[in-house]
Amino acid sequence: MGIFYRRLPRFDYVVPKTLDEVLKALNKHKGAYRLLAGGTDLIPQLKKREIKEPEYVIDLKGISGLDTISYDGNGLKIGPLATITSIAQSPAVQEHYPILAQAALSMASPQVRNRGTFAGNICNAVPSADSIPSLITLSASVKIRSARKERIVPLEQFFIGPRITALKANEMVVEITVPQQRETSRGVYLKLSPRHSMDLAIVGVAVTGTCENGICKDIRIALGAVAPTPVRAPTAEAVLQGRQITSALVDEAARNAVTQCSPIDDHRASREYRCDMIYVLTRRALNQILLS
Amino acid sequence: MGKYSVIGKRVPRIDAKEKVMGQAKYAADYSLADMLWCKVARAPFAHAKILNIDTSKAERLPGVKAVITGKDFNGWTWGFMATTRDEPPLAVDKVRYLHEGVAAVAAIDEDIAEEACELIKVDYEELPGVFDPEEAMKPGAPVIHAYRPNNVSVEYHWNFGDVEKAFAESYLIREDRFETGRVVTGFLEPPASLAYYDPSGYITVWPAKQSPYFHYRHLAGCFRLPLSKIRVIQPYIGGGFGGTKNDSVAGDLCTVMLSKKTGKPVKFIYTMQEVLTTCRRRHNMTIYNKMGMTKDGILTAVESRVIGHGGAYTAIGPLTMFLTGYGTPVPYKLPNYKYDCWRVFTNNPVSAAMRGHGFTHTRFACDAQMGMMAEELGIDPVEIKMRNAIDNPKPGEVYKAVTGFKVKTCGIKEALKAVTEDTIWADRDKMPRQEGPVSYGVGLSGTAYHGGARQLGHQSCAATIRICEDGTVNLITGATDCGQGSDTVLAMIAAEELGVRYEDISIKRVDTAYTPVDPGSYGSRVTLLAGQATQFAARDAKKQLLEAGAKAWKVKPDDIEIRNAVVSLKTNPEKQMSFEKLTKIACYEGAGAVILGRGHSDYGIDEPLDFDHGTGEGGINFSFTAQTVRLGVDMETGKIDVHDFIIAHDAGVPLHPVSVESQNEGGAIQGLGQAIYECFVMEKGKTHNSTLLDYKMPRSTDVPDIKVIDIITNDPDGPFGAKEASEGSHVSTPPAVIDALHSATGVWFKELPVTPEKIVKALKEQGKWMK
Amino acid sequence: MKEIMLNVNGNEHTLQVKPWATLLDVIREDIGLTGAKEGCGEGECGACTVIMDGVAVNACLILAVEANGKHITTIEGLADGEKLHPIQQAFVDIGGLQCGFCTPGMILSAKILLDKNQDPTDEEIRKGLEGNFCRCTGYTKIIQSIKAAAQMLKEGR
Ligand SMILES: Cc1cc2nc3c(=O)[nH]c(=O)nc-3n(C[C@H](O)[C@H](O)[C@H](O)COP(=O)(O)OP(=O)(O)OC[C@H]3O[C@@H](n4cnc5c(N)ncnc54)[C@H](O)[C@@H]3O)c2cc1C
Ligand code: FES
Ligand code: FES
Repeated sequence: MGIFYRRLPRFDYVVPKTLDEVLKALNKHKGAYRLLAGGTDLIPQLKKREIKEPEYVIDLKGISGLDTISYDGNGLKIGPLATITSIAQSPAVQEHYPILAQAALSMASPQVRNRGTFAGNICNAVPSADSIPSLITLSASVKIRSARKERIVPLEQFFIGPRITALKANEMVVEITVPQQRETSRGVYLKLSPRHSMDLAIVGVAVTGTCENGICKDIRIALGAVAPTPVRAPTAEAVLQGRQITSALVDEAARNAVTQCSPIDDHRASREYRCDMIYVLTRRALNQILLS
Repeated sequence: MGKYSVIGKRVPRIDAKEKVMGQAKYAADYSLADMLWCKVARAPFAHAKILNIDTSKAERLPGVKAVITGKDFNGWTWGFMATTRDEPPLAVDKVRYLHEGVAAVAAIDEDIAEEACELIKVDYEELPGVFDPEEAMKPGAPVIHAYRPNNVSVEYHWNFGDVEKAFAESYLIREDRFETGRVVTGFLEPPASLAYYDPSGYITVWPAKQSPYFHYRHLAGCFRLPLSKIRVIQPYIGGGFGGTKNDSVAGDLCTVMLSKKTGKPVKFIYTMQEVLTTCRRRHNMTIYNKMGMTKDGILTAVESRVIGHGGAYTAIGPLTMFLTGYGTPVPYKLPNYKYDCWRVFTNNPVSAAMRGHGFTHTRFACDAQMGMMAEELGIDPVEIKMRNAIDNPKPGEVYKAVTGFKVKTCGIKEALKAVTEDTIWADRDKMPRQEGPVSYGVGLSGTAYHGGARQLGHQSCAATIRICEDGTVNLITGATDCGQGSDTVLAMIAAEELGVRYEDISIKRVDTAYTPVDPGSYGSRVTLLAGQATQFAARDAKKQLLEAGAKAWKVKPDDIEIRNAVVSLKTNPEKQMSFEKLTKIACYEGAGAVILGRGHSDYGIDEPLDFDHGTGEGGINFSFTAQTVRLGVDMETGKIDVHDFIIAHDAGVPLHPVSVESQNEGGAIQGLGQAIYECFVMEKGKTHNSTLLDYKMPRSTDVPDIKVIDIITNDPDGPFGAKEASEGSHVSTPPAVIDALHSATGVWFKELPVTPEKIVKALKEQGKWMK
Repeated sequence: MKEIMLNVNGNEHTLQVKPWATLLDVIREDIGLTGAKEGCGEGECGACTVIMDGVAVNACLILAVEANGKHITTIEGLADGEKLHPIQQAFVDIGGLQCGFCTPGMILSAKILLDKNQDPTDEEIRKGLEGNFCRCTGYTKIIQSIKAAAQMLKEGR
């Protein structure tokens, strides 16, 4: 039956005060719950009945301290409730990780950014999620916790497929950790969409790297919306790593990046166009980071 | 415009205060105690026989008060013409497009109504579908309606002059295939209605309609009640743009039927996805256009073969196909013209009217083709337009088009001059052509649209003016302001005619129990036709007032003048009284005098439209628009930044300049959407992009700076010289953008919308990509 | 049903709500303030924009229970009695609206924008309205209205 729902499905709502309570609840309700951070993915998905209707929605916002963004000499820690707006506005992010502020501002609208979180963006795990490529190039990892144990997973290994992550039913993300970058490291995120805002990426390319005296000391390239998960382009990086940078080499790396993806044909773009755009945007991003 | 006190002034919109305060009530904002909620259950197939519908489980769900199916409507169907009433409120024997309604529920809340829909069980036998109009025309294609075994819903064949001879004598002929996109009006307010079927036999509804009197007739027909027992009360309307809100939707008729069954008020609200998946859309059209010219670029003939993608039902399609051919002989002189069109049924959502109705398809094709031919002939693009443009007829004279309609005023040459003298065009060679990967282009178009649509069927349009005894005025019309600003303009007209202040006028929204009948908001008719009715009503009221004043002052009515709410003697302006005083004299004099002015639009239909032959007058006059566009194309990604629109629009006389500008701006941005962003992506009848994220209408960051230039032609037929001001820029934008894209990329794009992906594809084909 | 407390435009409301009801539904249906509109119900149009604890949010994307204890401003809370807020006045004066369905959300987004930036450029205004869709106006007069409002606010009108 075709039904266009205007109302959400029935569920019970719980808002625990501590992380332990959440973790216990996860254990108890197994797959029958959904965690709620900003809700900007969850609420529309529930309304459209795109995901299994949960018995419980567990709101994380009753727990204090999960929305912090802290920076010390070792890196950046983003709490699972830090909003996209607060990340874009964080002085530490702007100073040390401007690529993250850039990615944040490329997303959605002020209203959505005021509620949505990077953790939600990551856990929702769509290939076009805009925060992910940049975080991957910064070698970010996620701290995952269950009632029993805590583990750290590099973000690159966190994604298994569209909307599928390494999280187990009783686990949640409690922190996004971004290591300290080299002093000279620079990064850029380029997002291509037909409109100029409120649009999803047809292709997203993030590059973080360092070029000293014309030599590429360090380079990471990550691509969004071009494979079942956001992907890194290691062979393209290898083209550049340790080499004297020329336009020709950048071009070669950009062409190589195309080989690292497996985009689909869908209503947003054809496979061919996506491949072409990986080349164009990777080349642009590399030029900006390594040559300008 | 010194001669007017109100007309031409930048007064605030009459509804602005309610709207900025959040006090304006729209259909979804109404509720009644004890109200039920309606939800429509829809079919999961694009083409299928309905074998059986089992509603028993849904009926048993606590909170459900009634469930209906198509059979409850007893075979009633609706459509634009008596011969094409092929659409039932809910599908009966078969469904013809994906998510057509098959049943509807009324329950005590919307959650339960939605849950109940899940419990309705329908057995279908899926039928092969057909989704492409040219496929649907082939013999052996699945038949969608038994009464049209070839799937052709409408066809016309017109022939004016001698096209064959003209082509034979032409120096240059071009034949191109153009295509316009599958697009939608895109109003922000989803359809909604609150309905109450009073068991004693009255219907009252508060629906989101831009033509409430169409709905009124549908309800009378569907429920077999006299019109006098149908009361449509018009809320504020959150945008219309034709099609869906000119018509009834399944929810409208189901809420009334459910109210009849339950004896309670029932409300429905569609979701945006439901709108983008099931509501009316613009026809997308394939236009095989053949154009001939002399060596000097003078048009000799146009032959258009047009295939209109009709979708599952006829709706207003016969008019669409008429207007698509009707607009071709303006704004350029066209001596020979042939038009063959077919509107074809497919298993897609229904196509209907939208702003720029009909004209937009063929004006896009012809304007673009004219640009291509200018290029081939080596003639300057402005020059070729000027050579062909219709001259502004001298007062009292007319230009007669090859199809027979008359043009009394025409500002196209002046408009072309205005936009090409502006710096965007004039200095285009001084601006950078290329910056990094971005290539800039400037484009030009010149188009026309008709206003004051007069069509077959009902045409009555009237106004009443009631003078209150304190000197204020109630203006009552059957017209609907769905956002365009017509209430403001009608109030201005009333104030100007009466000689009172604009603030003294209050205008009432439609209530079919009290307001006079009116066709509604379409075809840019309200300002012109309801405007004329208002003018006449004001004159009638004024006449009565002047007679009372004349009696009091012992002079002749003609000796008295009213301006800015001051009544004075023409021969002795010192002799004055306030308008309030005059109304008191008029109202209190004698026994029970009430000053009520009435008037109706008297244009009538002098030459009825002949759909089959293409003759007749479709409206009362034509607006003309010239537009330039400056944009930049990223030649690597294909992404477009649109920087400037300069729009010179001949609205005759801009009665309310703010609304004229705003209509031009809004129409142009909607046109921009159709030119480069918007298009439904369809697969076997399924709409893949049915959200506002994926159906890409322009947002604040996509729009250019817009400058609107008024071209004044003072039309003899429009009230105070007015012509239309809402659809012209919508029609002029796509061809101007196409021309600018050609200037930037060297490619002529013939299919709308021109997305970044299409640009890259074209550049690749021409070996121009990443060189 | 869950009990929540909302402070809307300075008035406290204690309400029994379904856990799955959105803030928009509760404001419109339980509290009866219909100024906030539902265009898309999915965060894409901004017609439902309200100000919650000082930031603009989409009321359609928030559960009413999530808003427990929060301070909310809707369009109805902006004017001072019959006296319009300068932003409202600017929209009236310049004509920054047609059908008016986007207007409540536009004005609240404009308020947040102008609270943070007293002298925004056209570009900044466009950015600030990313979340608010308008089909009628082509945005031109909305942008002009916000510029005029900025001027009025600076002049303390
Ligand atoms: C109109 C609109 C536009 C958008 N535009 C963009 C865009 O341009 N780019 C883009 O990338 N995204 C976009 N989004 C998607 C969305 O806003 C982002 O993905 C956002 O970051 C999600 O964060 P959230 O906190 O709202 O997630 P939620 O909706 O709260 O959660 C998302 C998912 O993650 C799970 N989850 C949340 N937190 C945790 C946790 N700590 N541990 C485990 N699981 C968790 C939830 O259970 C849920 O399944 C848009 C959304 C909307 C409505
Ligand atoms: S209704 Fe909330 S954003 Fe559209
Ligand atoms: S005024 Fe109608 S949507 Fe903005």
